[in-house]
Parts: sequence; C-alpha cells; structure tokens
Amino acid sequence: MIRYDLIIIGAGPSGLSAAIEAAKRGLKVIVFDENAKPGGQLFKQIHKFFGSKEHKAKIRGFKIGEDLLKEASDCSVNVMLDAVVTGLYLDKEVTVKTGAGIRHYKADAIIVATGASENMVTFEGWTLPGVIGAGAAQTMMNLYHIKPGNKILMLGSGNVGLVVSFQLMQAGCELTALVDAAPKVGGYGVHASKIARCGVPFYLSHTIIKAEGEQYVNGVTIGEVDSSWKVIPGTEKHFDVDTICLAVGLSPMSQLLKMAGCKMRDTPGGFVPKCDKNGATSIPGIFAAGDVSGIEEASSAMIEGRISGVATAEYLGFISKDEAEASIKKLEKALFSLRQGMFAPENRGKAIEKTEEGINVSASLLKNGFVEASEIERFPGFTKQKGLHPVIECTQNIPCNPCQEACPKNYIKIGEKITSLPTLNEAGECSGCGMCVASCSGQAIFLVDEDYGPGYASVTIPYEFHPLPAAGEDGRALDRSGKEICTAKVIDVKSKKAFDHTHLLTMRVPAEMAVKARFFCRQEGENE
Amino acid sequence: MGNCADVVIIGGGVIGNAAAYYLAKKGCSVIVLEKSDTIGDGGSSRNGGGVRQSGRDKRELPLAMYGVKNLWPMLSEELEMDVEYYQEGNLRLGKTDSHIKILQRLTDKATASGLGVRMIKGLEAREICPYLSDEVIGASWCPTDGHANPLLVTLAYYRKARRLGVRFITGEEVVGIRKIKGKARQVVTHEDIYEGGTVILAAGYDSRRIASTVGIDVPMTQAELEVLVTETQPPMFYQMLGTAEADFYGHQSAHGSFVFGGSSGYEDVNKDNGTPVTASITAPCICRGIMKYFPCLEEAKIVRTWAGWIDVCVDHIPVISQAEEVSGFILACGFSGHGFGISPTVGMLLSQMAVGESTVLDISKFRYDRFKAKI
Amino acid sequence: MSKIKDRLIDMGEFMPMPGDDMVICRCEEVTKGEIRKAVHDGMFTMTEIRRYLRTGMGLCQGQTCGGLVKRIVAGELGISPLELEPAASRAPMRPVEMKVLGNEIKEAQ
Repeated sequence: MIRYDLIIIGAGPSGLSAAIEAAKRGLKVIVFDENAKPGGQLFKQIHKFFGSKEHKAKIRGFKIGEDLLKEASDCSVNVMLDAVVTGLYLDKEVTVKTGAGIRHYKADAIIVATGASENMVTFEGWTLPGVIGAGAAQTMMNLYHIKPGNKILMLGSGNVGLVVSFQLMQAGCELTALVDAAPKVGGYGVHASKIARCGVPFYLSHTIIKAEGEQYVNGVTIGEVDSSWKVIPGTEKHFDVDTICLAVGLSPMSQLLKMAGCKMRDTPGGFVPKCDKNGATSIPGIFAAGDVSGIEEASSAMIEGRISGVATAEYLGFISKDEAEASIKKLEKALFSLRQGMFAPENRGKAIEKTEEGINVSASLLKNGFVEASEIERFPGFTKQKGLHPVIECTQNIPCNPCQEACPKNYIKIGEKITSLPTLNEAGECSGCGMCVASCSGQAIFLVDEDYGPGYASVTIPYEFHPLPAAGEDGRALDRSGKEICTAKVIDVKSKKAFDHTHLLTMRVPAEMAVKARFFCRQEGENE
Repeated sequence: MGNCADVVIIGGGVIGNAAAYYLAKKGCSVIVLEKSDTIGDGGSSRNGGGVRQSGRDKRELPLAMYGVKNLWPMLSEELEMDVEYYQEGNLRLGKTDSHIKILQRLTDKATASGLGVRMIKGLEAREICPYLSDEVIGASWCPTDGHANPLLVTLAYYRKARRLGVRFITGEEVVGIRKIKGKARQVVTHEDIYEGGTVILAAGYDSRRIASTVGIDVPMTQAELEVLVTETQPPMFYQMLGTAEADFYGHQSAHGSFVFGGSSGYEDVNKDNGTPVTASITAPCICRGIMKYFPCLEEAKIVRTWAGWIDVCVDHIPVISQAEEVSGFILACGFSGHGFGISPTVGMLLSQMAVGESTVLDISKFRYDRFKAKI
Repeated sequence: MSKIKDRLIDMGEFMPMPGDDMVICRCEEVTKGEIRKAVHDGMFTMTEIRRYLRTGMGLCQGQTCGGLVKRIVAGELGISPLELEPAASRAPMRPVEMKVLGNEIKEAQ
C-alpha cells in the first residue's frame, strides 16, 4: 500500500491549486481525476474571467487551466488521470480504479475537491432526448467540438445559463429564447447584455410547461407564472426547438465525504460537509475545497484549494502555524475581495436597488437582459464627448478591474475597491488602442467616435463570432435589445494577439445611433 | 392509543414488524420503537435475502420449513405487496473433492431432519443453471429453497401493520426496560416512557444491552458482513446460490441485478464509524469468489456495496423465548446471520407467545436460559 | 434526528393529481405518483422511499433524482426538504466491472 502525505481527489481548479501549495512546501502529493484530461471545469470555460490580476482576470478559463497544470508539473505534482476514486474508507484509505483494476492508497491527509454536478428540473417531457444540462452542452461543444443542437431554449438566467447561451451561439446554434421562472436575471448583467444585443429574447417570470415531441424534442411551450409559481392561463408561448438546456443550479458531489463519515449539513445549495474556514471537515485530516464544499465559481475554488493546501501542510507539520496563518491570511484577502459586490454570497436573494455609488440599478437589465437607452446615461462609464472615447456600459458592482489595468493611458479608473463602477479619468485621453474593449471580460466596453465623418459615427464593438465580417461589408446595427436600428458598414476588423481572440469590429452608423448601436449583424442575417 | 399498548416491541426490523403485524391481526394494540429514523435499518435491510432451509442448524430447520410451506408462498398476497419471493431452489456449489465432502455432510444432516435436499453432480447442476463455471464438479441441491427481497419484506410488514393501527415510533432509542411490581411493563427511551402488557425485544445486537437492564444476558458478538449489487442483467437464473466454503451467497433479483453477500475473513474484527461501513478489501474478495464460479459475470458492473452487522449468538442459533423470570418479557434476537428466512415464522410465533397461545412449533431449543458452562 | 417520529400522523388520503405520471427517477423509471403514494404508505425517509421504490438505486445512484425525490417527499409530509436526510453514499462511486473490482493491483513501492 503506497502512503502519500496528501491525496487530492479531483484535478480541477481547487484540487490542482491545493496540490501546488502543498507540493511547494515539500509534501508528497498525488492527485486523482476520473477524467482523461485534468482541469475540471476550467477547460470548458472559453470566456475571459472576471476579478483582478491576482484572480487571473481577462484570462480565458482554459488558459488558466493550462497555467495551473504547468505550475503543478513544475512542482512535481503527480496527477493520475482516468483514475476513479471509488471509495474513501476508514484510516484515510482510498481505492482507485485505474485501467483494469483497482489500487489501494493511503494518506496522512486527504483533500476532496470533486466539484459539483448539474441539477435537474422536471416538466412534462423532461425525459425526452434533447433535454440536456447546460454543463453537458458546454462539455459537448468546448471539449468534444460537437454542436449540442440547432435551435436551443435555455432555462436559467444565472451565470451558467448566460455564459453557455453565448457559447452556444458562438458554436453556431440559434438561441431561441432564454427563460427563467425568477422575475430577475440571476447572473451578471453584462453576460445577459452580450446575448440580448444579438437578439436573444429573455422571458423572465416564465416556466417551461411542456417539452414536445415523440422520440425527441421538437418544440417547447412556456408560460408566465404568478407570484405562487402557477402558470397564468393565456400566457402560453410556443417555440420550435430541438434542444432544451437546463441551467438550474449545481449540487456538490460530496458522496465521498459522506461515505467517509464526515458530518454533513443540508443547505439550499446542496449537501456539504461541515468545514472550518480552511476546509477541515469533522474528520481530522480530511479536507474539502472548491464547489464540493459550497457552490461558488472557479476563481474562488482555486483560492479555497490553495488555502486547504497550506492548511494540510501545517496539519502535517511541514510548515509552522505562523507560516500557515500568514499565507492563509493573504489568500483569504483575495477570496474576500472576490466575494464582494452585488453578487456576493451575503447578497444572494436580496433586492439591490442602488449601486454602491448610489445610482439606481437598471431595472430593464434585470427584467429583459439589456439596459434601456434611457437608463444607460446614469452610469459613469457612459459619456458623450468629442473624439474617440471608450463607452463603458458596466452598471453593476462586481469585483473586476481588467479595464483599468489594460489602458496604457490610465484613462479608465476603478480604484482600490475593485467593485466600483469604472469611470473616465478627467485628466486622461483615449489613444484608441482598443485594449479596454478587448480586455473587458463582460464585453461591455465600446469605442465611440461621434464625429467619424459628416453625419456618421463609428462604434467599435467586441466581436467573438465566426466568420468574421470584413472591412467594407454592409450590414445592420442592432441596439442593446437586439433590435435592428440602422444600416451599418464595417470599417475595420482588428485582430491582435494582445486582444486574445476578441476581435474589434468598427462599424460606421448614422451619428444619432452612436449611443445605441451595440452589435453588428451581417446582411444575410445569420451570425454563423 | 397514547403510550400504552397491549404489546410494546423494541426494534423495527423484519422480526419486530412481522410480530407487530401478526399481533395486530389478532386484535392487539401494538407500539413499535425503532432507534433509527428509518424502519428496518439494521440487518433486515442489509442481508442477502436468502430464504433457505438447507445449511441450517437442525434446531432451526423446522422454523425454516414451516415458513417455506405455510407463509412465504402466500406472503405477497397476505401483505398486499409483491415481496419478490422466488422458490427456485438452492445450489451450494463445490469444485474440489473436499468441497463435496463438506456439502455431503451438510446434506446428510439435513435429510436426517426430513428436508428434501440431495447431492448432484456437475452435469445436473449445469442443467439446472447453465451459467456455472465448468470447474464445478458437484453441488447440494434443495429445490424448495429460494429468496426474497428483504427491503420489501421488512417494509411490507411495516406498511400493513401500520394500516392495521400499529403505532411505529422512529428516531427514539430505548435506554432500558423497567419492571413495575415484578413485571416488565415500561420501556424507557431517551425522550419518553411506553407501557405494555408484554414487551418483545427484537433489536438485534442492541438487545444484549437492553436485556441487561432487566438482568438477562444474551451471549452475542457481532460480525460485519458486506453485500454488493450489480446493475440489471438479462434474466439468467433465479436459484439461490452458495458455495461449500461460503465464498459468497446470493441470487439474481426480480429487478435483474445480482445481489451477493460475503466477507473478507475479517468479519469478526471489522470496525465501523458508528454506522456499518465497508472495508476496502472485502468487495474485491467477494468478486473473486463469485468469478470462480460464475465467470459469465465478470463484465457485470457493481453499482453499490454496503455493510451490516449480524448479531452472532454464541451457539449460532437465536434466542426466541419468554424470559419467565421477567414476567411479560419476550426475547427474539441473536439470529446469527440467518434471521431473514425464518422471519415470518418467528413473527408469527412471537404473536402467539405474546397472547398466551401455545406456539405452533416447538421452540424449546431457543430458550434464553440454555447457556450452560462447558463442564 | 428527523422531526417526524410518530408514523401514525394523519396526512390525509392520497389524492391522485395531474402530473403523477411524470418520471422522476429516470434510471429506475419511478413516477411522481408512486413517490407520493409511498409516503402515504408510511415511507417517510429518503432511505425508506429508496428501498421501497428503488429511486436512486440505478446507475447514477440518485445523483440526478435525489433532489427531485426529496422535494416531492417533503411536499407530501409538509416539511422542508432540508429536514430529509439523503440516503447513504457508498462505494463504488462509479459502476465498476466485477473483474476490475476483483483485480487488486499491487504497487511496487
């Protein structure tokens, strides 16, 4: 029986992060993962992350995954793939299925970092082929390069639903509708805006009544719900779809912890182990980190993993208590800064009416997925001025500041408190480099020149679809709600390495449309 | 009903539930106390489901035969629920001459007590069950043995007893029994006190601790066995299976999955963490045992393993007995890993004992005071 | 400990409702109506429901249906789903072929 200092179950963001911190401090670590590839959910995340530099803001999820893997390999962390941990037994023993047999391993400490799985919701026809989890759709597209379907209805307006909707469109699917029984969009407003301006209709306060079809989904009927979640007669709407994606929350996969006998607690967010702030469970030497200890997101999972890695190093006497506390304090600070703002865990379920700056939040954003033209002017990032300038349509307090870091002219200001809404530095000047547009993970920054020519303005938008339009192409501009508002001509499409696959499309629109035009649609009408 | 009843039963397992049912049928008021939140969470829901007469101690054989003849075949109808009782026979398999000797000995003992069981050669065994390994050279064959679903039997007795008005209380652990004026009358839990004209103790291993509160000892130890279950397989065979060396025992269930029980050899010293937990070496050991006899099952996927404690009485047969020195106290415990098959019989006998009827079978061999020193 | 201890609590007659034919446990094809009726038959815990109906006994061992079953049972009992203890978690965490499980590979140290 091989005995390790530390066994980590799950080579996702929290597991790998824990492994790195422990290995750096001299522990003999092995990480088991049931998948053929490590990185957990990270490799499915093709979008740019939020947060600040220390949280790897503006870096795409899969790149963060690659970096993490490299860091792990540099620390000589042993990662065994296609290795299913089948059981966590007494005396901190695990059995691992690898290939044609099982192996027994023991450790002085174990970190369970097994993540979470998707929830299901029932409605008539939910068992028809074509009803899939949003995470499953993401795996199909981003890992296996298979289109999950052609015409998709997404149920759920949390970040998973919003982000996966956009990715489905990038993969060439049509997002027929986004539906949520809640009255408000649950995820970040900027994620919603990205898809709203492409014309995706939002149906808040709606539920799926029925998925239709005999052998597979070929349609869906939704209806509006009242305050007691009952469908209001006469509000039924029908769509022809072949796929229904469910993004209705995640539940921790805490079965190994329960099997081991850890004290658990049942929460609305799932069945989690009782842990202290370092992830230590009720069984000495067994820790939990990442989504398995409570659903958050990859950025917090990585920090939690690091904290548990440091904690196990202290638990096993590789570092002193003082050293551990110093390291953990720094990590907790980073975690704390992530858990701020409108979407902080403590604010869940609360109705937030004003931003930290005292500005009324956009009601339309929460109800329809886009900020109304009349509302956008409230926000400091939106200005009208002569010459080329960024227009920052960031209207919610989220810990995020890559725009500030990206601007070479220090024109964009957020400040110490990274949840603050971005403003423009009075003393500054825009060079038109477009780095802010490309660096905004929410794709909420545009470059506008209201005097592009007589009667015209130019609007530069972030563009992440294929095929890329070309300079000279004619098309139409859509407003924030996805409505066609005018004709538009592509002036330029910039694709720089520094933009990291966010292309900058500059279009010419009638001058009065500068404040509204936020997406470009090609003549044929389809963004393939 | 309140906290008083004609009979208070300690233990909501298959024995306690069966007794409650038969007592309710006789018109008695009954309270059943179960320490777990879940009915039947002890051995009753963890065993391999065997309903066999063969391979039993000859003292137990009449109970098993009575059940197979009079109770099991009509149990689903009686309880208005399909308990998946199959009577397709029992094959106890052997690969070597010494295995055959063991099986022959068991067979001879059983036939001497009147059970229809005989030795058969490999060829006939394979005619009965074509899926046997070619290495099987013989078996003992008892055509009237079978199996059932222990989860459903336990819950079926519970369900019908409840319908007949039996009051089941779960999540309350019995602290002890209290005599009032010389009779066992009160059953004390952590939260409450219940009173009965008769108290039946059918609480598995816990019976020892509870019986001691009225000065009765049942010499028992515990052993932790494990079971594994496969995913559904196409219907193959429905005989009950075992081996001469007790490598495993089990059957294919109505659902199609195979349920197999066994041990690693360390069942007497296995530990748990407060609830029965599996050990990492047991399931692999059981698998190897199975594959020696059923190579056709090597690709079958195991979906779950579990463990359970059996209460092993020192002479490997239960205590089913009035304890006359404690008036009104009846014991039913120490089933030593073979209680399920005789549970309907025992339940029925307990109901007769509790109301003062003479029992339909002679249970003198199961007396609580049979344990004498060796010299 | 669960709050409902007395199994003779009166929860009214079982009333069939529209939607009872909806499959909840996909692996074992158990419907909503069967789950609701089981509660009226006296099955008050997730473990009892599981043993009675086979919900959660299929290949996914309740990963998909666990939350759904809980909500239905809690609804029938008039309690919060958080008061229902999930069924036990057991090895193997994923289905394993008998020949693989029986093949314990010894590592060279």
